[in-house]
Amino acid sequence: MRNIPRRKFIQLSSASGAFLIVGCIPSAEGKEKLISKVTSNLPSIDLNQFISIGKDGSIILFNHRPEMGQGTYQSIPMILAEELEVDIDLVEIRQSQASRELYGSQMVVGSRSIQTQFEQLRIMGASAREILRQAAANKWETDLNDCRASNGRVVSNDGQVFTYGELIEDASKLEVPQKPPLKNPDQFKVIGKPFHRRDIPLKTNGEAQFGIDISVPGMLYASVERSPVFLGKIKSFDESEALKVQGVKQVISTSRTVYGRTRFGVAVLAESYWAAVQGRNVLLIEWDNQSLEEVSDLTIEKESLEASNSNGNELFGRGNTDKILDDSKEVIEASYQTPYQAHVPMEPMNAIVSVKENSAEFWGSTQNPNGIRSFIARKYEISENDIKINYTFMGGGFGRRSMTDVVEEAADLSKKSRVPVKVIWSREDDLTQGPFRACSLNVCRAVINDEGKVHALEHKIVAQEIRNQTGENMKAGRQLMGGINTNYTIPHLSVKGVLRKRHIPVSYWRAVYHSTNPFAHESFIDELAHRVKKDPIAFRLEMLDQPRYRRVLEEVAVRANWQASRTDNIGKGVAIAERSGAYFAMVVEVRKLKGRIVISRITTALDLGICINPDTVKAQTEGSIVMGLGAVYSGLTIKNGAVNEQNFNTYPMLKMDQCPEIETYIIKSNAPPDGAGESGLPTVAPALANAIFDLTGKRIRKLPIDMNGIM
Amino acid sequence: MARIKLVVNGQKRELDLDPTMPLLWVLRDYLGLTGTKYACGIAQCGACTVHVEGVPIRSCVFPVSAVQGKEITTIEGLSKNNDHPIQIAWIEEQVPQCGYCQSGQIMTAASLLKRNSSPTEEEIDNVMSSVLCRCGTYPRIKIAIQKVSGE
Repeated sequence: MRNIPRRKFIQLSSASGAFLIVGCIPSAEGKEKLISKVTSNLPSIDLNQFISIGKDGSIILFNHRPEMGQGTYQSIPMILAEELEVDIDLVEIRQSQASRELYGSQMVVGSRSIQTQFEQLRIMGASAREILRQAAANKWETDLNDCRASNGRVVSNDGQVFTYGELIEDASKLEVPQKPPLKNPDQFKVIGKPFHRRDIPLKTNGEAQFGIDISVPGMLYASVERSPVFLGKIKSFDESEALKVQGVKQVISTSRTVYGRTRFGVAVLAESYWAAVQGRNVLLIEWDNQSLEEVSDLTIEKESLEASNSNGNELFGRGNTDKILDDSKEVIEASYQTPYQAHVPMEPMNAIVSVKENSAEFWGSTQNPNGIRSFIARKYEISENDIKINYTFMGGGFGRRSMTDVVEEAADLSKKSRVPVKVIWSREDDLTQGPFRACSLNVCRAVINDEGKVHALEHKIVAQEIRNQTGENMKAGRQLMGGINTNYTIPHLSVKGVLRKRHIPVSYWRAVYHSTNPFAHESFIDELAHRVKKDPIAFRLEMLDQPRYRRVLEEVAVRANWQASRTDNIGKGVAIAERSGAYFAMVVEVRKLKGRIVISRITTALDLGICINPDTVKAQTEGSIVMGLGAVYSGLTIKNGAVNEQNFNTYPMLKMDQCPEIETYIIKSNAPPDGAGESGLPTVAPALANAIFDLTGKRIRKLPIDMNGIM
Repeated sequence: MARIKLVVNGQKRELDLDPTMPLLWVLRDYLGLTGTKYACGIAQCGACTVHVEGVPIRSCVFPVSAVQGKEITTIEGLSKNNDHPIQIAWIEEQVPQCGYCQSGQIMTAASLLKRNSSPTEEEIDNVMSSVLCRCGTYPRIKIAIQKVSGE
């Protein structure tokens, strides 16, 4: 029960009656203990913070992780239902309240929702099941072993039946078993089956509510003009024209904090969003750009190349890589570059906040509901108990909605205007303000021995680091080496980081550094394979004894028909990577078509341990690949200290006609589950670049790729 | 400000509005029909697609004055019980992830099938490539449309 606190909790009381308390209290031995106690005659009783059972047999299961498309709305209740022994299609699923006390972390980042709480969620389901069985055993005056839980009922050996509803009152008076027996994975009936997601019907008729869809009484809409050059300060502004726009109420300067740096803006508050935008369009602001206008892609590239001559600091090392590279006559070297990327959730960033003297309330879509509560509490010195968090479905997040900067703007404007304020970012705000996936320069060097094997390899990453964006400390942290495969049995391996600091803000973007480093690493491994004239999959397998890596690589080779002889018109490329514990292999197949290169098929194999909902894992894999391909075909450029692209017309997303056929094969496993939300993304760029090399002999070392310009 | 008369999902509405306001913001902020989404504001992504007299338009750039008296259908008015063949196929194929763009996808797909009940894959690509999805639901959208058109 690592992340779900064992503390007393009180769940969903109605104003009119008493309620059931089930939860955890410290015991005499100082350990925390699961308890239950009835104080209620309400028709529905909450067995714990995840499970509520009505006397009529109705069952509610709560998902406590905000839903941004990743599917935990379905897969968390599936885990509960498995151990509780109920039909997942017949229960009601609800989103839980935001409460660190009841649920521990509810943050949805790093594909961790299932990975970190699988065991605890099973215990929640199993402990409820056990007291229901015990209640039946007591009623029948029989042994617990004679009572079987199945399909929302307890059945005795001699065929007697109680529904859970009939048992709930008795059950809730029993002591909750601290270590309930958990099912053997071979007995799973819900986990591992492709159940339909219950949030999906809501998302086909406009019913699903996102943050941007909420309005609260008395609120004003705000649109904020911010300096296009990051860190620009307001010299002066003239609001007179804006105030003439019908519906505009106030013009207020505001600020927000992005990784330790203050970013300024001028907000137009109005009765409608449209009026706020009209007012913003006629604001006159003079910016002090802090002499940052000279920064561009060219200066960043030059500065990165210079920095790559430095050794930075070693993030991972084995053997004696530096000496071998120094002493070798032939060192193979290649450099790879990736651009900045924006998150671009389809729902633009937004937040509604109402800040009062001693209380506050938030409405919106967030990956981090409890973080927002703490942020507002700290900033305005309000007790966390007096801050209400109302979170909705998210229209995508991809890391961007883990931050509190937009909430800060809305809170600041609410505090200053004394009304609830709804801030909506335009798409242009989203693209030009960031923060962004960091751009990178990766320099790889290797020595191959006489047997054609990699003897030493150095991978140097030159990039900004999310956790260290300001100040004097220039030591690169291990975060920077995400996605570098240290499982290759290369005897001498050194991963180095050369930290860069710039005024351009960077942040967590789906798969984070796993979205850039593997492009270099797996392209370089491919270059080495071709150098020694070995098959790229065979070459990798020679260097791998990690069984899960071997398994996915062997699987994808079969599924993609890797060994089939290639015609002149077909190229295939492979790449492997691990993200959030999931092992992933991908083969991309490309073809020549009317003078261009197109992807004809993508085949993937992944091992993420126990798979809760295979259809959701497939959907996440397809989604990760589409996002990864988008980041292969387009990138942000920096000009005059600012982002050049403004909207989808200049920063194109992947479209349907660019989306290849995707086949996903999930390896069967009883290992604990790992993350599914990002694991398909890291291999996209290298597998595609390797396929293009296979087809054309041209090596792509810089993203984005112009697929029309290769041949 | 002007007196604007609208017919939305079969209901007559009258409002005092800035006539240049895009239909999108009228639907969302004045009529409470939030199923139609804002995502780019420049008719590039299709999230705001609604039907005007049965024809799909990008409501984020369509001034409300231009649709006066015309029949407007939003996602909320596509079917009574979430049972339009496209909606059924969307659920069957488990298309949405975050779901934000899906109103636009569904309204675009519904009008495609109304014009052409059995589009080729190329025709589906041509029409549906105008609607963006950041979650990457394209493979399933295509299968769902093919499923409906095959019936």
